[in-house]
Amino acid sequence: MTSPSIAVPVAAPARKRGRLLEKALRFQGYLGLVIVLVIGAVFSPTKDGVNLFLDLTNQMNVLRYVAETGIIAVGMTMVILIGEIDLSVGSLLALVATLTAHLLARAGYSTAPTILLALLVGAAVGCTNGVIVAGLRIPSFVTTLAMMTFARGLVRVVFGGLAIPLLPHSLGGTAADSAFFFAGKVSFIPVPALVMLVMAVITGLLLRFTPFGRHVYAVGGNAVASRLSGVRVELTRVAVFTACGVLTALAALIHGIQLNQGAPNDGITYELNAIAAVVIGGTALQGGIGSIAGSIAGAWMLGLIDNSLNLNNINSDVQLLVKGALIVAAVSLQRLQRRS
Amino acid sequence: MRVLKAILAAVVLTASLAPGLASAKQYVIGFSQLGFDHPWRVAMNNQIAAEVKKYPEFKLIITNGQNDNSKQVADVENLLQQKVDLLIISPNEAAPLTAVVKKVYDAGIPVIVLDRGVLGDAYTMFIGGDNKLIGEKAGEFVAKWCGDQKRSPCNVFEITGLSGSPPAQDRASGFREGLVKNASAKVISSVTSEWQKEKALPAAAAVFQAHKDIDVVYGHNDDSAEGAYIAARNAGLDLKKMLFLGIDGLPDPTGSIVSVMQGRLGASFVYPTGGAEGVDWAYKILVKGEKPPKKVVLGTDEIYPSNAKEKCAKYECKMN
Repeated sequence: MTSPSIAVPVAAPARKRGRLLEKALRFQGYLGLVIVLVIGAVFSPTKDGVNLFLDLTNQMNVLRYVAETGIIAVGMTMVILIGEIDLSVGSLLALVATLTAHLLARAGYSTAPTILLALLVGAAVGCTNGVIVAGLRIPSFVTTLAMMTFARGLVRVVFGGLAIPLLPHSLGGTAADSAFFFAGKVSFIPVPALVMLVMAVITGLLLRFTPFGRHVYAVGGNAVASRLSGVRVELTRVAVFTACGVLTALAALIHGIQLNQGAPNDGITYELNAIAAVVIGGTALQGGIGSIAGSIAGAWMLGLIDNSLNLNNINSDVQLLVKGALIVAAVSLQRLQRRS
Repeated sequence: MRVLKAILAAVVLTASLAPGLASAKQYVIGFSQLGFDHPWRVAMNNQIAAEVKKYPEFKLIITNGQNDNSKQVADVENLLQQKVDLLIISPNEAAPLTAVVKKVYDAGIPVIVLDRGVLGDAYTMFIGGDNKLIGEKAGEFVAKWCGDQKRSPCNVFEITGLSGSPPAQDRASGFREGLVKNASAKVISSVTSEWQKEKALPAAAAVFQAHKDIDVVYGHNDDSAEGAYIAARNAGLDLKKMLFLGIDGLPDPTGSIVSVMQGRLGASFVYPTGGAEGVDWAYKILVKGEKPPKKVVLGTDEIYPSNAKEKCAKYECKMN
């Protein structure tokens, strides 16, 4: 919109200041990440003049090992955006990881059908969560808590209590080598990190530029108003929970392949890690506000804290104290900036 | 009416004869396990179940304490209510479980405590391994390996169990006592994986980043050593020059017997669950009427590449 030639000159500087502040505020979700990067770099040990914390190999390692949390956090962001929660992701991860190990290593499946089946199971569990929440109107906390217990029981009953080894032929195992692409690298970037970035970008674009994305924010902001505006609220809920299930299944595939096993007892407290990443990244628990990028930043930040403490060989009990304090400090600084 | 009375009389007569018709006395063994979520615990459960099968007089009930003291207390109360003939218990923690174990013992039911202890002495017998001894043997093995490999200095990276848990403390202190036999061997880094393989990966990755010259990786349990092995492989380290060792010695497909056979772990020390011994002693106490010793300390076994196949046969290990 072009302004008339009689524009008031006084307004111009204020507008410029406003745009700068707006730009700064948009990146406020990453302030915590920046703080942790700086602290980590300052306190990092150095060897032969290389800052071990900032070293590319180290940072790539961190991204590799936060990728599972990050991928789940992408799904969890959408769930929290619509004002719900999903506590079943840890158990679902164990279920799909064990299924993956069983299919690849014991049942002799090749890579593509295994991936398909894994994602289908994730979709099925997520969809079930969504249908119970949206259809039976049982609060998501209760529904997904029940699913958390059910899925954990299911994997133990079907596969027993023991882990299933998952090694490629090249390492003396029984699974197809191609599946282990998910544990490898593309150039210097670990594939798990790549998968996390790709899923984050796709979901981020989905949320930003599609009607579905607008519906997600709308339902989270005000479900009643959304329904009155014609948004299919129930369908959105089911879709979001299903997406979270699929993303968790993807994380589970990577988990099993990286760890060389599918274990029924894995993934315990993974839901907390994902929720922490999402909340630290700036998504409000009541829904309506938040971003995928923030959640990835939150996951990365948590990984960096652990990494820095381990590099410096900090006593593990002290690590817990430092981690708790750092998380609160980083997030409060974010909140302060947001308010100003 | 008469017919009805006759039928009733027949039923009552048969029912009263039934106990006499039973051949041998059936004993119910209640086993309160603290949690099912660790392979070593699952192995204990399986070993107890397998050993019970050898005794037709025995029937087994297993409860899952879900790693929670209150839940386990409730489980034991439940077993007491069911009037089990003998209680085997692996308590989550000593103090919270002492009172309920005493209650069972005072009711005249024999109590066998496995692996972790309770306070006081209101129980029949305790069967457990010696973590300090196992740690010491591991330390001595590393000291010898460093000498044989002529590594000076010999840098050891230790991955501990849940810090503060007695097994972790004993395996750490015992290891250091065994390690002193070689002055050039030292623990240069110690991080925790809380017994979990998935936590060992990122922790080990960071340590391999900080120290490029690790010779030995000592995991308080095999899973942690395996996790470190994967991290070392990802980091492109020369695995042939390193020694990875752990404790547990489980025979399942992801356990260390298979791992040693497949060339990943260089050594593993068996930490026996005592499950089979517990059931055998239950038989001696209930059926043979023997009086058991108050404490039985289980020995350990060592698995190396040279004896792995033989140990695999001994422990009936499963390859996959």
